[in-house]
Amino acid sequence: MSDVLSDDGSDIHQDDSLEEVMTPAELIAKLEEAWLNEKFSPELLENKSEVVECVMEQLTHMEANLQRVKKGDVKVSVHRMEMDRIRFVLSSYLRSRLQKIEKFFPHVLEKEKSRAEGDPSLLSPEEYAFAKEYLANTETYLKAVALKHMPPNLQSVDMLKAVPEPCLDSFVFLRVKERQDNILVEPETDEQREYVVDLEEGSQHLMRYRTIAPLVSSGAVQLI
Amino acid sequence: MPIVHNGAVTSCVFFAVSGNSYSAGTFISSTVGVPALTHSFCKQNNPAVQTMDPSEVEFLAEKEMVKIIPNFSLDKIYLIGGDLGPFNPGLPVDVPVWLALNLKQRQKCRIVPPEWMDVEKLEEIRELERKEDAFTPVPSPYYMELTKLLLNHASDNIPKADEIRTLVKDIWDTRIAKLRLSADSFISQQEAHAKLDNLTLMEINTTRTFLLDSLNCMYKLRSNLQPGSNKGKALDY
Repeated sequence: MSDVLSDDGSDIHQDDSLEEVMTPAELIAKLEEAWLNEKFSPELLENKSEVVECVMEQLTHMEANLQRVKKGDVKVSVHRMEMDRIRFVLSSYLRSRLQKIEKFFPHVLEKEKSRAEGDPSLLSPEEYAFAKEYLANTETYLKAVALKHMPPNLQSVDMLKAVPEPCLDSFVFLRVKERQDNILVEPETDEQREYVVDLEEGSQHLMRYRTIAPLVSSGAVQLI
Repeated sequence: MPIVHNGAVTSCVFFAVSGNSYSAGTFISSTVGVPALTHSFCKQNNPAVQTMDPSEVEFLAEKEMVKIIPNFSLDKIYLIGGDLGPFNPGLPVDVPVWLALNLKQRQKCRIVPPEWMDVEKLEEIRELERKEDAFTPVPSPYYMELTKLLLNHASDNIPKADEIRTLVKDIWDTRIAKLRLSADSFISQQEAHAKLDNLTLMEINTTRTFLLDSLNCMYKLRSNLQPGSNKGKALDY
């Protein structure tokens, strides 16, 4: 694919911060994958901040270029429409992450704390700040409204116990992108036996998230 | 068979079916927008995160390519998602559905319906779909959404639009009936895995909330029944 902005001859790929070379179209596809995975997985997934940053960069560049085009050009409206569509996906993606952080904040922060040095962080720096602030505000609020009126021995609440954990045993729908052999399916009841299935490329399945969670983060399957 | 009941959920209603093709009753109880504090502390697992709106599926369908015949000329457009054009009056060109519909609304093009959007072809598909027990391959992963979009906005460019609408609705209804039957047997046989080839996203989406929530509820009930299993504890607040 040629350059997005060859419209007016400038190049924006040189400062691409992604390691592998990716066309803008692939970048958008990556964002959409991340969006759907995040939407359907019961837990918070690893943040894709590099994809988010690159998309933002593309949008800013495009915006700047559109400023230079003379008014009334038909192309501008087409570009604007496309940008609006991309912005929608981007904000829906970030919003669903924030929703999950709000829902699981103590567990998210706990996971972040126990993360080994060098492991990629689940949260972007902004999300981390948000989660911490959310925790602090919730605690303050709870204290002000309820806890301080309680007898002294009942004045503490363990957030980790008070807030539900993500339910990894939820079922999810998925499409296979890279063939996987011998995925172990755990039985639903004691009478049944466990068995293995092969996930063929392009096939679609309904199964528990826990079984395939590693495949989601490796990108071998796509939640749908 | 599922019983249609005016919104009230009785014990054996598996899927509330409304007349509308998209909203198969599963989106009634959307919990989006519940204030964070209440839902963090409520006992139920809020399903809001794991849902998708039918309009979002339609959004994805709008990325499909469709042929148009423009009545204007324009150089190539270099979009972020790929190049389009050049546009010349009378010469067919491929564009995404969202752009096709926009140009159509501004009366700048004629839309060429996709090949499968044809009465004979759809009749064949309908017969096959009725004959087979399994789901047959559909002509497009977004056949329902595309039919709806194109027929609503460009029905004057599509020959026999009404017949096509009915045919696609028939195919959809047959498939949704199959989907309900298989969901029913999935639940009654307590399966842990199902293969869903040839199902489209919109079809999955009509049962998603209800099916997944039911499975989770049953899982909760079951794991609490089995003594010694601590699987259920994580869910028991």
